[in-house]
Amino acid sequence: MNYTELMHEPIKPILPKPSQYGIDPSLVKARVSEMPGMVSLYLRELFPDLPPVLLPGGPDAIKNVRKAAEEALMKVDMSMIKPEHSVNVLASHHGFTLFGGEPYAELLKAIRDVVEKRTGCRDIRLRAGVGMRFRETEEYIKRYGLDTYYNGKAIGVAPIDEGIPIETEIGTLYGIKKVYDADWIIHAHHTDVREVHFHRQVDKAVKPFGMSYARCETRSTYHQNLGPRAANFTARAIFESKFVQSKFAFAAFLNCGPHGVIGADCDNDLYALNDRATFVGCQLYGKIMTLFGEIDKCIAVLDFPCPVPYVFSAGVIYANFTGANTDLYDMESPLPPYTWYTEAFYRRNGQPLLEETPPMNPAIRMCVHNYAWTGYPSEFFSKNIPTVVVGEEQGKLFDTDSMNIGYMDYAVTARSTEQAMQFAYNVTGTDKVIIFDGAMGGMNVSESLAKLLIEKAPEVSERVDNVLLPKWLKQRGVDISILNRNK
Amino acid sequence: MKRVTLLAEVQQDVCRGCKVCEKVCPVYAISVTDRKAKVKEDACRGCTNCESRCPFHAIKMVKREKPFTIGVDASQYDSGKIRELCEKAHLNPEQVICYCVGVRAEEVAAAIMAGAKTPDEISSVTGIRTGCTIECIQPLLRLIQAAGIELKRDENGWQWYGVTPTAWTLPEDVVQKYNKRGFYFEEDKQLLDRVVHTNPKGEEKK
Ligand code: SF4
Ligand code: SF4
Repeated sequence: MNYTELMHEPIKPILPKPSQYGIDPSLVKARVSEMPGMVSLYLRELFPDLPPVLLPGGPDAIKNVRKAAEEALMKVDMSMIKPEHSVNVLASHHGFTLFGGEPYAELLKAIRDVVEKRTGCRDIRLRAGVGMRFRETEEYIKRYGLDTYYNGKAIGVAPIDEGIPIETEIGTLYGIKKVYDADWIIHAHHTDVREVHFHRQVDKAVKPFGMSYARCETRSTYHQNLGPRAANFTARAIFESKFVQSKFAFAAFLNCGPHGVIGADCDNDLYALNDRATFVGCQLYGKIMTLFGEIDKCIAVLDFPCPVPYVFSAGVIYANFTGANTDLYDMESPLPPYTWYTEAFYRRNGQPLLEETPPMNPAIRMCVHNYAWTGYPSEFFSKNIPTVVVGEEQGKLFDTDSMNIGYMDYAVTARSTEQAMQFAYNVTGTDKVIIFDGAMGGMNVSESLAKLLIEKAPEVSERVDNVLLPKWLKQRGVDISILNRNK
Repeated sequence: MKRVTLLAEVQQDVCRGCKVCEKVCPVYAISVTDRKAKVKEDACRGCTNCESRCPFHAIKMVKREKPFTIGVDASQYDSGKIRELCEKAHLNPEQVICYCVGVRAEEVAAAIMAGAKTPDEISSVTGIRTGCTIECIQPLLRLIQAAGIELKRDENGWQWYGVTPTAWTLPEDVVQKYNKRGFYFEEDKQLLDRVVHTNPKGEEKK
């Protein structure tokens, strides 16, 4: 095999971003992809059947995303929206961390313009939901000029904002009042799989109704009341409610693969779109996730402007990599190595309550935290995976985060990126490195790891196509015929 | 148990008295009088909710000069009674119910046995719901309800609205209708039950 042909110069990763949740970008002195021995692998070379992307691309990439969004938006029925009505476009924070955030912002801009043009409606607002960083979407709204684009009607909403009870077929759940304070809602999301350890790629397209658009009671229902494989029903229950159905106009999605933005997908039928998203999530992302499961040992590097579990490599977030020792898509295994259900089921002595609980991916011999944000409870990661944080400033920042008071109790600090890497090489005895820096179109890894991934990719691809994908889709009851329906 | 290191500080000249902070504080440590917000320093648990939701950015989180630790020592209470209360709420005493602060079900049960009766009182003594402040509300409400204490919502605040469905309350027709779509309701309930009934020695009781 000619390995060198498939190894390229490292891809320039996403730049550090100013945010109240991270250290000042000027304090990020070095990126691990710039260190000696790093290369990049292009995903379409590893898996040649991945579809072509609009982004990353040439200088027209964003324009092409816009065009795809407009074309998809022209196909949905908007006749329910009258000029005198009000419309809330609902967005979620994760969309803004995909591929630099610009493509999602462009989708949101296209929705506003096309809805106004097609319906004559002028009262179009943006309601952008967050996870646990309550000001996060406020930052994105400003960064991408969405406040001016939406004529000052763009706000971030948080799960502790004023609520509204929603009667569902399983009982009362609670939404955020400002999400529903319009005649119509448009659900703007993406097919990035993200927390497959939580939603297990079941009803993923519906999930924001139980998360970004929901009050804390509902989020807590999801994460504490139903169990790891039933939890996502919380979102479906809300979406199915008479209240939400009476307001739902359509969904507009950015179609993403692990290698970039493929296109846009809009539909009045969210479940049809959901089936297509499930297929994308299982087929396209399933291959890279399964390939990551082949890594026998490595140093994992966090190097992306996002909280610890959400930094990503080849479209896969770190939280999923910590579960790559199991098949996260396989619904037969009840507990993944990491979800909050898993985390909750550890005893005082650090051992799991149930013996069969899988450990966090033992292939990760050390985690070098070069750059990642606060704003997500991450103590479980540093407690279970030896962690070196670069720079005192990051350590201090974590100590001032109410969700991470204990993160640094289990991590050590290194003065520089170079020293952190040297320490990791010395202690782990491996030179296989995987960098979660959000590089677009490929992934930055060390040469030794690149070699292993190149070797394993063909077999993984075949296994997913022939064995795993049919099983995963069957477990989810996906209606295959719907996939062929005109998008 | 939580080490409280932060304190909310209101910049009086920026505050406009809108009362949002008052509605989102899980421990009622901030309130508005004469159109200005004031923080009860001893009561603040440093969760940052007020700072994150103040529409005018009038609040700053500062480091406390004298950090302190809060917590209820569950080992000081009857372990049988703690287990009974937790199991009634479908929780294992040892399981973590607040991921930020690391509060376990047994600590909340102990707080209730020590006399705490409301979510804010329990947060105040254990630190639960003073991290992200969103994920642990249901097990907290479940434990209070299991103790036979009536839950009374504060109509003026947004602290919490009410208890929501659990694996043990799902209607059978819903379970039947959707279990082919990848929702493993029954299997997950069994898993949760196994967790609830696992004892300190690792034995599972049916
Ligand atoms: S939310 Fe801000 S402006 Fe409103 S009362 Fe509180 S401190 Fe003052
Ligand atoms: S407990 Fe939280 S919301 Fe209340 S005053 Fe302190 S920081 Fe603000």
